[in-house]
Amino acid sequence: MTINDFSPKRYYKLVLPTAGLLALIKLTAWVCGAGFEQLGKGLLQGISFVKIMFPPDWSAFPDMLEPALQSIAIAFIATILGTLLAVVFAIAAASNLTNPIVRNITRFLIGLERSLPEIIILLILIAGYGLGVFSGIVALSLGCVGMLGKLLGDIIEEIDYTMIESVEAVGADKLQVIWFAVIPQIVPNLVSLALFRFEMNIRLSIILGAVGAGGIGYELDTAFGLLQFHRGLTAVLVILVMVVGAEQLSQFIRNKIKLKGALK
Amino acid sequence: MNELLILPSAKYKQKVGYLTASLFVTVGVCIYLKYNPFLLFADFSPIQRLLGEMLPPNFSLLWQPTIGRAIAQTASMAFLATFYGCLIAFILAFLTATNTMPLKFVRVIVGAFLSLLRIIPPLVYILIFIIAVGLGSFSGMLALIAITVGMFGRLFTDIIENAEHSAADAVFSVGASRLQVIRFAVLPQIIPAFIANCLYAFDVNIRVAISLGIFGGGGIGYQLYMAMQVLHYQDAFALICLIIIMIVLIEKASDYFRIMILGKEKLR
Repeated sequence: MTINDFSPKRYYKLVLPTAGLLALIKLTAWVCGAGFEQLGKGLLQGISFVKIMFPPDWSAFPDMLEPALQSIAIAFIATILGTLLAVVFAIAAASNLTNPIVRNITRFLIGLERSLPEIIILLILIAGYGLGVFSGIVALSLGCVGMLGKLLGDIIEEIDYTMIESVEAVGADKLQVIWFAVIPQIVPNLVSLALFRFEMNIRLSIILGAVGAGGIGYELDTAFGLLQFHRGLTAVLVILVMVVGAEQLSQFIRNKIKLKGALK
Repeated sequence: MNELLILPSAKYKQKVGYLTASLFVTVGVCIYLKYNPFLLFADFSPIQRLLGEMLPPNFSLLWQPTIGRAIAQTASMAFLATFYGCLIAFILAFLTATNTMPLKFVRVIVGAFLSLLRIIPPLVYILIFIIAVGLGSFSGMLALIAITVGMFGRLFTDIIENAEHSAADAVFSVGASRLQVIRFAVLPQIIPAFIANCLYAFDVNIRVAISLGIFGGGGIGYQLYMAMQVLHYQDAFALICLIIIMIVLIEKASDYFRIMILGKEKLR
């Protein structure tokens, strides 16, 4: 076979999947009402609209600081409480620490939570507890439990079992085993996962804010709703700073832990 | 000797210091937000009332054609966005990877563009695209494409850069052009990871598509939001069940396809 062998024999297997894919694209584009001529028109409009948004309205900047702080606080609290809850769920979901019945029930709950996007949890909570910070924090914490619970559960199942045995051998009860043998082994993973989730929560708190959890997302949504685009652009810039800042912060902490082994 | 054993070690003190500091910050933030975490476990009455209103779910709603159309719209949005988004991300990734793009300024520009796409939050995209192309699933799809490119561009770049260099060197040494090196040395190595990530992107996109629907992107998310807004909780519960079933089915399907394609390695 030479390097330029483009004979049909090599590629005939790909014909049917490609045809299927193209048909699917046509069908879905029809359902969505998507088309390239619309895309061209839309892009022109979008560019002219982005031009209208400039320059940002700097006088609105002081109004943005309070909601931005609120968004960060929501993400922070949700990460802390969600991670704590997630550890409990992860221990209940690990096959080497609990009996199969509890494990399967916990895994089912975590799976159920994972298949619900945070925003739908927020909608349900808003119906129950009303608009506001409380619903936002609880929705984000539950999202944390869904994601970290599964990942930590898998991590706990793979920890070194000799440590548990040696702690048990000197007469530790279940809680002492968890505190002295399990937790120290998962802390490094726990911190890096929590930092990752914090970045995610910052992003999510913006989109949840627009539905009614408060914070900078709500500011942004109202500014666009009231057609105050300069104000909206200010909010966008504040959000970009927030997201990049959270990323840099978590990268900094991660490096520090890696260098010093501070929490091991 | 005994005293040394009783005294807490420096490491222990450090740990306690970290824990106390984070505890104080947490309590401070809780007070700032006026948030009481124990309220969730103490007072179940709102959830009880809500469950009372939600049960029994109104499953007859699901046979209406509008719901069918909404489901199809959400799935199509996610599918098209995954297809075009991964395609664009794939092409841009080749322009940012150090082993496929020799020009530094192209790498820097495309890399900066990808980072910008990644840090802009989804809410901003959907607000801009709704103004650009109007309400509906088309704007949701465009926003989702931008999100997908931002999320997976960097990932694909890493995959390309981590490809084995010796194969590329071998093909290059027998006189292949740069494009031929990509086709015969880089592409065969990255295709399996690329397909696996595309299927993962579809998983993620179906969730994001539901969220974007709430902001006017159309689809099942919008139907759910409307049902919640007009307090038709029984309809909303049925829709939530439908959404869970849809997401789980799509997850299973993407797992199945991943095993089918990667297990047999048909496309290598």
